Amino acid sequence: MDNKNNDIFSKSIDRRHMIKLMGSTAAVGLAWLASPAMAKNLIPKGDKPNIIFILCDNVQYDDFGFMNHPFIQTPGVDSLARDGIVFDNAFIPTSLCSPSRASILTGAYAHNHGVKHNHTPWTGKKTTFMEYIKGAGYDTAFIGKWHMPGRGLPAIPSIDLFVSYTYREGQGSYMNCPLIVNGKHTPPGKKYLTEELTDRAIEFMEKNRRNADGPQKPFCLYLSHRAAHPPFVPPKDIRGMYADKKVALPGEVDSWFSKTNGNVFQGIMMGSYENQYRKYCEVITAMDRQIQRFLDKIDEMGLRNNTIIIFAADNGMMWGEHRCHGIRRPYEEVIRVPLIVRSPWTAKMAGEHRKQMALNIDVAPTILDIAGVHIPADMDGESLLPILRDRDAPGRKACLLEFWKYYPENTPSYVGVRTMTHKYVEYEKTLKPQIFDLVNDPREQNNLYGTQSGDKLLPELKTMMEALMQGK
Amino acid sequence: MVKQDIKRRFFYPVFIIFLIMSISWTLYNIAWRIGIPSIHQTLATITGTLLFLSVTFGTLFIYPVAYFRGASLKERILASLINPFLWATKENLRLLISFSFSESLYYYLNPLSIWLLCGLVAQMGIAEIFCRHLLKKRGEAVRVLAPGPLSAIIIGLFLVITLFAWGQGENIYVIFLEGYRKIFGSDF
Repeated sequence: MDNKNNDIFSKSIDRRHMIKLMGSTAAVGLAWLASPAMAKNLIPKGDKPNIIFILCDNVQYDDFGFMNHPFIQTPGVDSLARDGIVFDNAFIPTSLCSPSRASILTGAYAHNHGVKHNHTPWTGKKTTFMEYIKGAGYDTAFIGKWHMPGRGLPAIPSIDLFVSYTYREGQGSYMNCPLIVNGKHTPPGKKYLTEELTDRAIEFMEKNRRNADGPQKPFCLYLSHRAAHPPFVPPKDIRGMYADKKVALPGEVDSWFSKTNGNVFQGIMMGSYENQYRKYCEVITAMDRQIQRFLDKIDEMGLRNNTIIIFAADNGMMWGEHRCHGIRRPYEEVIRVPLIVRSPWTAKMAGEHRKQMALNIDVAPTILDIAGVHIPADMDGESLLPILRDRDAPGRKACLLEFWKYYPENTPSYVGVRTMTHKYVEYEKTLKPQIFDLVNDPREQNNLYGTQSGDKLLPELKTMMEALMQGK
Repeated sequence: MVKQDIKRRFFYPVFIIFLIMSISWTLYNIAWRIGIPSIHQTLATITGTLLFLSVTFGTLFIYPVAYFRGASLKERILASLINPFLWATKENLRLLISFSFSESLYYYLNPLSIWLLCGLVAQMGIAEIFCRHLLKKRGEAVRVLAPGPLSAIIIGLFLVITLFAWGQGENIYVIFLEGYRKIFGSDF
């Protein structure tokens, strides 16, 4: 069966779907046709779209061309943003790699899934969306960075193809990264990891298409890149691409910043801070090139009209803001992440932005919702489909921020709340609590804690935080 | 060579570098608060450079001065290690913001400290050969390329290069984390 039958915009829509579409159109009236709510009916019952989730690593939300970055080139991600819907307020509740990744897979806050930091193991007690979706008839693949603590990779039988690595604490390496393919240690086919993972993803899609005995099975592909985790190693032909670009660092830092305040351990030991940032941008461009290749392949295979693509990052990234580097801290540069959804049934809304708050814990319920799978009650996240369908749909008012200290990174444990307008954070020890007015002080320069206006805000923010901690 | 008193042969050279290190560190951390970008950047560049040089290469000053003021080998080694040790201690104390005292002690074994130590060993070897060379030029009967300092240079440089080349320091960082989990416990 060809996937183009799903495409309302395609000329080759088949008769059955045309009848179905005409029927529903007649029932609700022509005026309704212009409504975004129409998108709900654009996935015919019984047909499941392919779902692709692409994850990048430690990328600041605005380090993309479509976000008007001064020099970075990301035509692939830009095209996703142009053809899809961009969430302007996407956040991660726990700003560390492993907890964030576990949240994406389980739809749960870290205090519920248990991967609190990069030393607490993945237990497998929480079911991943990949497992649920397999039960709904999907072919499944997890390709790329797993990076959850524990001894080796877990055995997840419901993932048909599991390509990952445990090398260097699961961080892998950009060059010659040894892989584990369905439990078997395998040498890489390509030198550059991002390219290797893209090859594997394309191979998986092609294999899925070839297995066309009887009804075609939809697939769910989780493509998890190492880029742009430090140390930054771009491929040879991209290396130095931004060498002559002027980097505008935040005013509070300088060229030596990568060697002070413990930052040298963030993989930015050599060269100036500006130079490290350029390399980071080169690694993102290298990833984007592979994303573009991957998107082209989807088009070439005729899958575009029945494939939903979600693009996100596990964390943001601080490049000197607040005189901090890396992740962990609850500042906007870290907790805010890129989130784009491109789907054929929202093509009429292409390029739109959504202001509602979206979280990484929403990815799993959204994917299950897309696949028509019941969303389990133990998922903390919510499906984003209503917001995708309707730009005016209500969103959540606040999200919990939680972090457990992680050796040797020098950030104390904290808990906090982020609303659409404010942020409140309590640290376990040493650091003073923080309240920021994100509307009037988006760079979080003015801590209102202990001030008159802070005192006014505090009770409500605390109540919201405590409610979220109790799962309300 | 006349053996000068302990202050002159040991404490003064150490103190000079300590002074440069602490003043540049203080000014570096004040610079950004000035609020004038041009002054901030200029001051940060100067003090950042001095800080880096004093911590990383201070030995190249301390060791020869101590040598020519008659410090023994033990004193020269100790004098060369004091400032980097103080720097490492400052970095360790930083960790007390989040961790216990024993965890901050373990931080002495972090890859950067190991790397720095290897670099210091090589520098001490270089400084020793340099001092011997000067002595020989003055007509003293010393062996310039002695096995001790040569070994220090070779071993120190070899470790500096290989530890970095071995996964840009990531592999040794992994060992450091594994050690941490073994000592302080983890759930796996």
